[in-house]
Amino acid sequence: MTATLIEPTRGLGFGARRRRSRSRAQLVLRRIRDGAIVLFLVLTAIFLLGRLVGDPAESLAPIDATQEEVDQIRANLGLDRPLLTQAGEYYSGLVRGDMGESFVIARNQDALPLVLDRLGATMRLTLAGLLFSILLGVVTGIVAGVRPGSLFDRVGNFLALAGVSFPYFWFGQILILIVAVNLHWVSVLPDGGPKSYFLPGVTLGIHHGGRLFQLVRSATLDELGKSYVIVAESKGLGYYAVVMKHILRNVGLVVMTMVGWEYARMWGGTVFLVEFTFAWPGIGKLTTDAADFHDFNVIQAGVVVAGVFVVLSNLVVDLLATVVDKSAEAGT
Amino acid sequence: MASSVSILDDAGRLGHVSRLTRVRGSGWWIWVALLAVIVLFAIAGNWIAPFEHTAQEPRAKFLRPLESSDAGFHLFGTDELGRDVFSKVIAGARLTVFIGVAATLIGASVGTALGMLAGYRGGWIDRIVMRLTEAQTAMPMFLIALLLISSLGPSVWNLIAILPTYIWPTFARLIRAETIRMRSSQFIEAAIALGCTTRTILWRHLFPNLGSRIGILAAISVGQVILAEAGLSFIGAGVQSPDVTWGLLISGGRKYLTVAWWPTVFPGVFAGITVFALNGLARRFTDVGRGV
Repeated sequence: MTATLIEPTRGLGFGARRRRSRSRAQLVLRRIRDGAIVLFLVLTAIFLLGRLVGDPAESLAPIDATQEEVDQIRANLGLDRPLLTQAGEYYSGLVRGDMGESFVIARNQDALPLVLDRLGATMRLTLAGLLFSILLGVVTGIVAGVRPGSLFDRVGNFLALAGVSFPYFWFGQILILIVAVNLHWVSVLPDGGPKSYFLPGVTLGIHHGGRLFQLVRSATLDELGKSYVIVAESKGLGYYAVVMKHILRNVGLVVMTMVGWEYARMWGGTVFLVEFTFAWPGIGKLTTDAADFHDFNVIQAGVVVAGVFVVLSNLVVDLLATVVDKSAEAGT
Repeated sequence: MASSVSILDDAGRLGHVSRLTRVRGSGWWIWVALLAVIVLFAIAGNWIAPFEHTAQEPRAKFLRPLESSDAGFHLFGTDELGRDVFSKVIAGARLTVFIGVAATLIGASVGTALGMLAGYRGGWIDRIVMRLTEAQTAMPMFLIALLLISSLGPSVWNLIAILPTYIWPTFARLIRAETIRMRSSQFIEAAIALGCTTRTILWRHLFPNLGSRIGILAAISVGQVILAEAGLSFIGAGVQSPDVTWGLLISGGRKYLTVAWWPTVFPGVFAGITVFALNGLARRFTDVGRGV
């Protein structure tokens, strides 16, 4: 019980000394393995939750359906077979890209292609959201962190806290009201043009940019407190020279990781809610429509694709952090 | 942090880092007062609200805020059926706060128990718990909630069952880290030396020392749950009429946004202020709030 436990860190550089013994290739492989395990757990959870909690057949059936009709629907969904058989079908379907057919919103079409058709729209929206999050959160966070307690810092803190505290879909509504309805700068419904990315992108940016501001600010502040800054200052290096030469470089890796995490969080849910708010023709809109009609296979396909993207984004960030961290270490 | 601040104080220009504590130190009573008002709405809303929140007044549809109808003064105006928006917002506080607190209690209990166990025992328990938190964090919970609600049917209890999944991993990770930090401290060693059982050590010695951390994290979590619930209710997968929460009210006003902004705006303001106050208060006490 006295043995010290090695804490797994998320590649933010705390474990640098311990890691030096392993090669970079080993680390990359280990991260990929960890990502695969998490992906497997997520996909399994989706399978189990979808089947053990509630009854898709019952909710899909019309209210006045007879027991035979409900059983028929259950058979069509394949939910009447043993759980293990279903699991085998689920996993082999995942590999083959077959996730069953839609029952309601696009009768007898495969569910996965329906979702993948919308992937591009969702992807473009997440990238727009990421752009606005970085614009709103990163540079402001560094400036606020370098000058803590300044007016800029205090105003920024207040706005960032408001950005993460108020429901972002509510901000979206307000933006629609002001910018689209009253000012007529953009159309209310998305027309696919570059302008239509503005409002949903800003809505995502308010939420994730607020979080990024807080994270980046405290990362910068932590960096300011490190002894090398005091050493650099005592050598007579000016304040801004310290900031430009040392702090930005060291904060950069942390910021990259945080931006990546925020991107994963978009796929975790926020982008879909924003799609619903703005009637954006992406996966979120498709799944919420499917949920209105209890179209189980389509929702499940949407959840799987979203889960894959969350895991993938986290994995890419982890891999980048591993690679960049190593080269940074070699450079010092 | 405290020690590094005083070092920086002497380092000339970096000294104003210490001002941070003063920024944090002021104004916390505003958050407490705001939260007290919200809790008062939640508990005694029936007596405070000027109108029955379901009372319709067909001749007073879409009254602007601060206008009066035959029935009386409407602080936040009226909605498409002439119902008083202020009374609806007050009525929404009850269920919003209840769901927030109930889901947080469940999530905090699960997360704290797992975190303490993982941190204290280490080994395979620790590895499993950590993998689970990673998997949970990687779940697209919004769509999973949609999937579950679609087959379960929307209800308040189903929501309270689903929402803790949003917050337990944070508790597990933080409490685990704190437990690891405390495990080697003298009071735990003394307890082990005195022959306390693991359960006694965890429950009687460790848990009381985690109290403040749990409290701060719980404040943030109530806010997170309120936002998650509002999102689910907004898309129709959460609370259903005749129940009211702020998220459902925002959703209800959506159709009439171009005609009347007030039925949408005011519930959102209240949800936002509540979460803002919870976050502000948590941050007032410590830095654990960041990144949650």
